[in-house]
Amino acid sequence: MMQRIVVPGEKLEPKPLRIDEAFIDNGSTYSTIMSIYDDEKKVLVPLEGLWYPREGETVVGVVQEDKFNVLIVDLDSPYRGLIFAKDVSGDLAAGDIIEATVKELDKTKTVILGRPRKLAGGKILYVKPTRIARLLGKANSMIRQITTATQTSVTVGMNGLVWLHGGRMDLCTEAIIMIQQEAHTSGLTDRVAALLQLGAR
Amino acid sequence: MVNGKRLDGRLPGDLRAIKIEAGILKNAPGSAYVEWGNNKILAAVYGPSEALPKHTQDPERAVIKCRYQMAPFSSLEEHNRSGPNRRAIEISKVTREVFENVVIRESFPGSEIRLFVEVLQSDGGTRAAGITAAAVALASSGIPMTDIPYSVSVGKIGDEIVLDLNKLEDNYSDADVPIAISPRQGRVLLLQMDGKMSKEEVSRAVKMAGDAGAFISRLQAEALRAPYLRISEKYRNKTAVNAPSPAQRPVNTTNPQQPGAQPQGHQGQ
Repeated sequence: MMQRIVVPGEKLEPKPLRIDEAFIDNGSTYSTIMSIYDDEKKVLVPLEGLWYPREGETVVGVVQEDKFNVLIVDLDSPYRGLIFAKDVSGDLAAGDIIEATVKELDKTKTVILGRPRKLAGGKILYVKPTRIARLLGKANSMIRQITTATQTSVTVGMNGLVWLHGGRMDLCTEAIIMIQQEAHTSGLTDRVAALLQLGAR
Repeated sequence: MVNGKRLDGRLPGDLRAIKIEAGILKNAPGSAYVEWGNNKILAAVYGPSEALPKHTQDPERAVIKCRYQMAPFSSLEEHNRSGPNRRAIEISKVTREVFENVVIRESFPGSEIRLFVEVLQSDGGTRAAGITAAAVALASSGIPMTDIPYSVSVGKIGDEIVLDLNKLEDNYSDADVPIAISPRQGRVLLLQMDGKMSKEEVSRAVKMAGDAGAFISRLQAEALRAPYLRISEKYRNKTAVNAPSPAQRPVNTTNPQQPGAQPQGHQGQ
């Protein structure tokens, strides 16, 4: 397995290949961000990057403004979330933390959200969007491991906001921070398990 | 110039000692700190976020807003009036234009990327060091770029073309030419000239800046990788993802082939 850390503008392949977060110039493929490149699988795993919304994704945000027929949601990203009043069931006001699904993307990359659900109490953790995949783990294994051990209810937004409520929130936060810092190393699942076990005592 | 050596003992093609650190500010998504000789420069990047006031938005691409500022205590001269002065406005503009060429702005229509360059201590060539620092800060923030540009100044003392002028050389030289280059394509992104140089001297100056670039670019890439390699190192025995193989890993900061190279941390004076 050949993996290496690449920086923006670094050559990945001397031939044109379609790789996410890479670009082709003069017949060669180059990286656009800090990432780990796998020579065999030809994939870039971002180390530093931004969130690009996709339809159907779950996001966590804070209602910023209530404008008669539309709610504006802060998603901590260049994209602004919008929820139409007809999609809102129950009361939502500015300052509420919500979980919602990306329903539609318009041309100016405003994100139209659907199925909002108010998240009462708890706290929000800011996680780098590139670490969310690692935080969830394969088939959500990592996050399940954390929630089972800490009894905290966790809602992970793909935009990098993570909402925590109840249980051992301190331990849960510690585990998430550990994943954020060490996402690019292997054997992380075991270390998180050890941390959770140690903290549970 | 005495016996081919400069005021601080460097040869014409020598850089000052350069130290770069990435990701040092906790609250900024991207940041970098550069020590370039006696220059000490901090750069931070925020965004992309919605561009405000709204009339500054571009519906097709992100706009870059740059603020270069010298701290009031950064030099012997005064820099203590509030707000940017004429010089700071100019340098902010040229810095912005360098990065407009390398940031993939089309990914973020209607948003702004805010770039701050603060000069804490100055000793000539701060705009070059500032651009070098800002490039590292941008890359560490995860904003997609086609390249990491670097910048260095070249000048003329008597008949000699010299690399990386310090404050005294800058003030009393015959010409001072800050150059920013995108190393992947060898594109010149900034070229300003204060003083007089012949056509042939300018091309020699550009070539000299290009030759120094390999070393500066490597320091930038090393600074970006360092935080990750530190963590990988901690779990080296257990980990599969780690540093590039020894053949690719640029460990040694001195490069015997590079005449401008100096050991890191070694004071040039």
